[in-house]
Amino acid sequence: MEKTVNLQIQDTKDIDMKKRKMYIRMITASLLRRRSRMIIALLAISIGAMILSGLVTIYIDVPRQMGAQFRSYGANMIVTPDSDRMMPDQVEAVRGLVPDDKLVGIAAYRYETVRVNDRPVMAASADLEQVQKTSPFWLVDGEWPAADGEIMIGKNVARMYNLKPGKRMTCTYAPESETEAGDGETEEVVLDNWVDFTVTAILDTGGKEEDYVYMRTSDMEKLTGEATAYDVCELSVSSGSDELKALSGKISEQVPGVSARLVKRVTESEDTVLSKLQSLVLLVTVVVLALTMICVATTMTAVVAERRKEIGLRKALGASNQSIIAEFMGEGIVLGACGGLLGAILGFLFAQAVSRNVFHSSITLMPWLVPVTILASVLVTGAACMIPIRSATQVDPALVLKGE
Amino acid sequence: MFVRMIAKAFLRQWKKMLMIAFTIALGSSLATAMLSVMMDVEDKMNQELKAYGANITVVPKSTSVISDLYDVGDENISGNYLKEDELGKIKTIFWAFNIVDYTPFISTQVSLDSGNTATLTGTWFNHHMDLPTGEALDAGIASLRSWWTVDGEWLDEQSDGSSECAMVGSSLAKKEGLSAGDMIHVTGSKEEKNLKVVGVFDSGGEEDDLIYVTVDTAQALGGLEGKIDSIEVSALTTPDNELAQKAARDPSSLSVSQYETWYCTAYVSSICYQIEEVVTDSVASAVRQVADSEGQILNKTELLMILITILSMVGAALGICNLVTASVMERSQEIGLMKAIGAHNPAITGLVLTEVLCTALIGGVIGFYAGIGFAQIIGHSVFSASIQIRPMVVPVVAVLVGLVTLIGSIPAIRMLLNLRPTEVLHGR
Amino acid sequence: MSLLELKNVSKVYGNLHALDHVSLKVEKGEWLAIMGPSGSGKSTMMNIIGALDKATEGEILLDGEDISRKNARALTDIRRDKIGLIFQQFHLVSYLTAVENVMLAQYYHSLPDEKEALEALERVGLADRAKHYPSQLSGGEQQRVCVARALINYPEIILADEPTGNLDEANEEIVVELFRKLHLEGTTLIVVTHNPEVAEVAQRTIVLRNGRVDHEMINENFTGKIKHITLQ
Repeated sequence: MEKTVNLQIQDTKDIDMKKRKMYIRMITASLLRRRSRMIIALLAISIGAMILSGLVTIYIDVPRQMGAQFRSYGANMIVTPDSDRMMPDQVEAVRGLVPDDKLVGIAAYRYETVRVNDRPVMAASADLEQVQKTSPFWLVDGEWPAADGEIMIGKNVARMYNLKPGKRMTCTYAPESETEAGDGETEEVVLDNWVDFTVTAILDTGGKEEDYVYMRTSDMEKLTGEATAYDVCELSVSSGSDELKALSGKISEQVPGVSARLVKRVTESEDTVLSKLQSLVLLVTVVVLALTMICVATTMTAVVAERRKEIGLRKALGASNQSIIAEFMGEGIVLGACGGLLGAILGFLFAQAVSRNVFHSSITLMPWLVPVTILASVLVTGAACMIPIRSATQVDPALVLKGE
Repeated sequence: MFVRMIAKAFLRQWKKMLMIAFTIALGSSLATAMLSVMMDVEDKMNQELKAYGANITVVPKSTSVISDLYDVGDENISGNYLKEDELGKIKTIFWAFNIVDYTPFISTQVSLDSGNTATLTGTWFNHHMDLPTGEALDAGIASLRSWWTVDGEWLDEQSDGSSECAMVGSSLAKKEGLSAGDMIHVTGSKEEKNLKVVGVFDSGGEEDDLIYVTVDTAQALGGLEGKIDSIEVSALTTPDNELAQKAARDPSSLSVSQYETWYCTAYVSSICYQIEEVVTDSVASAVRQVADSEGQILNKTELLMILITILSMVGAALGICNLVTASVMERSQEIGLMKAIGAHNPAITGLVLTEVLCTALIGGVIGFYAGIGFAQIIGHSVFSASIQIRPMVVPVVAVLVGLVTLIGSIPAIRMLLNLRPTEVLHGR
Repeated sequence: MSLLELKNVSKVYGNLHALDHVSLKVEKGEWLAIMGPSGSGKSTMMNIIGALDKATEGEILLDGEDISRKNARALTDIRRDKIGLIFQQFHLVSYLTAVENVMLAQYYHSLPDEKEALEALERVGLADRAKHYPSQLSGGEQQRVCVARALINYPEIILADEPTGNLDEANEEIVVELFRKLHLEGTTLIVVTHNPEVAEVAQRTIVLRNGRVDHEMINENFTGKIKHITLQ
């Protein structure tokens, strides 16, 4: 007929374009003009996508964030000199080997036996700001020593000498050579160096630190009259145990005269607990995701099932199953993509809020998660639409159109 | 007639109702599982954090002042010890149930055949105790030192001849050229003995220079029968708050009611206090490194779980809302007809709500049990222990499902009420 | 050769014979009405002729081709290419405008052409309502959109199932007048109805009873002339 002649004249490209235009027109009409239903569907999908992207972000970021929390257990690596003591430049070399973003704190200690009221007390000196980072669990009653002449004393020392913050004490130090030479001789030789201190804080750790006194490096130099050299260096590094092992090997190898080892109590236990925590979050994520996706699917199924009649009509008009599936899936995909994008943004905001509240730090944005979320929502939506569409296309159009 | 209509609605639309019930069941199982896990996560993580070892140490009153200060000379000089026969009392305190593990230590100096001296420490490895409550507990360093790597075997206290066995630290073993299976001859201040090295351990700390034997062996070698140097206790504790910090400084500064609260909460300081009450002349103090960090990690984990729970609940709630809205809207034609034959708005609302709530009840109950199942799956696969279901979960889930279903019906019902029967029946 | 020929067609639902060995011939350009009380098999017959349903038994020849043994896919193609359907409940897609509803049929058939669709609407007198949604149209207007949709692809047969069932008298007359116009243009029309007024304007009426052709009436004073009714 007329029409067929027309068709032959039209070139195929033009037909394709016109068909595509109508296809797009139908889908946009369905999406924009059935507003209430589409909002329901979009809401369902974006909730699903939000939970997906939020939980996955948390799951991936938890080890890092929690790892930082675990640093409250204090130093997880100890560097000791092979011979007598290590020099500041060795400590610097060690520090240089640890990546800046992983290093929580590095504190090098020097231990000397000093005398307080003629009784020996172990005195330690270190960069006290770093100590606060490597030993965050220390319970300090008072202020950390901030200026020369200030000292922090262990709980047991305080009890023994009956000292309180604000009181003064004097430490004396016998230079090594003279102590040895003066062994068994009269006391006066010993009274060489002395420094007056103000007690600023009392330290409670539940460990042997309670028997020590802590002073600034400069005070120790004054007291001993010797330049600083360290006995031990504590590092708090936020990494897994494998990374730490590699790092300690690197330090022992590259810095001459020192050897590094891990504080197994801290590293091994952290691995155990952190892996539990991660598998907890993983499982929770899987369960929540599975349930939410089913939830999204049922909502989509309900939304599409409503349109059985329309599907029947299209079939009666001569639409093939393929073209019906293509149209409804087209709608589903557009919805899935929009919902996925919206959900990915919301999910990131949620993860960010969690991170701010729980860990007081922001979360790392994972750009690859956006396409993954969108893809997942498109797949779930598509699968969810497929079931009712299939069943609707299977049904006789006559029956669908008859039933009111 | 009302009942008949509802029954009919269920029979006729059972497929749709089934779908709503299914979604509500999903939501309610999600809420149940997450709430249960959330409420139990503190306990479970607390157990896991025991990997860090003891969080309380108990020492005799006077040594707590002098210990470690003189690392030279004879350690026996102080002469202050705890009594071994009082060890059992630790499991009798108010918070006995929270004490998951503890072990005594008794150290003595011994000389080896090579001429070197070494510190030999007696302790429990897997000491079996039958408690007065009828429970049994295997306590000792086998679990308190979970981070040790042992070359050979752990010393088994239950086996015969355990008093002839020893575990040697890796540094000492290296120095003395010892490995698992070797014999070592030690001379204590009182006796001498041949010990079989069953295992060489690497602790990554100062313990690598020690020899560990059973308590009896160490006491016999050093002539210290019935005496104990220190006790390490691993207890499940509640993270510290202000009250606990105040109490830790001085329990007597608390008012009576504060004291009650403090004493009856498993703060590390109140457990310490209770231990001091039962072990004569002892000072129990919290190992800050373990106790504080534990508190922090527990708090964070719980907060994290709470937020995840909130997210999943919001998800479940919106999911249910959505489906209820979608499926009620679908029935506009039926409702239009009802209006046309003279149904008043309250009657329609009542009918729709009763239908939806009945469905919600069925779905909610099924979902609750499914949720318990999910919680157990999580519990068993992560913590290898079942999650305790708190009675609290039942009302919370019930209220949640009820509210969510009602709220979900609101937009749909509003839409139905605004329907003009003519529009609907004329098939728009 | 007849355009449509039914030979001994039966349709059985369980033990109910909805159609019982019915034979029928429809010539090209003919205007046929099918009447009968409820349950007489009208709808079944309409579904079978419209390739919406398959017969249990018998042969259906459309354009000399037997369609009774074709599968669902082939039936879909036949519906699309040869048949225009008009329903009692109109069945318009609620979120598409009048012109888009017409274009929908074009889309499945060959290619959508808005100009042509508008022309079709003009033919049924709805040129000014093209951008309206079904909910904004009256019943008669909706049915006229249906007619436009049915004739847009120049089908061999236009099949109308109770086209006036939901319409008032004025609209009924408009639709009947449209049929008359289509008949004059040479379209084959089959109208299923139980409204005698609609049936009596047709060239030939068959009356079904209990699944069989009860009797056949030829309209002797059939004129085929257009009454002068102006379309709104």
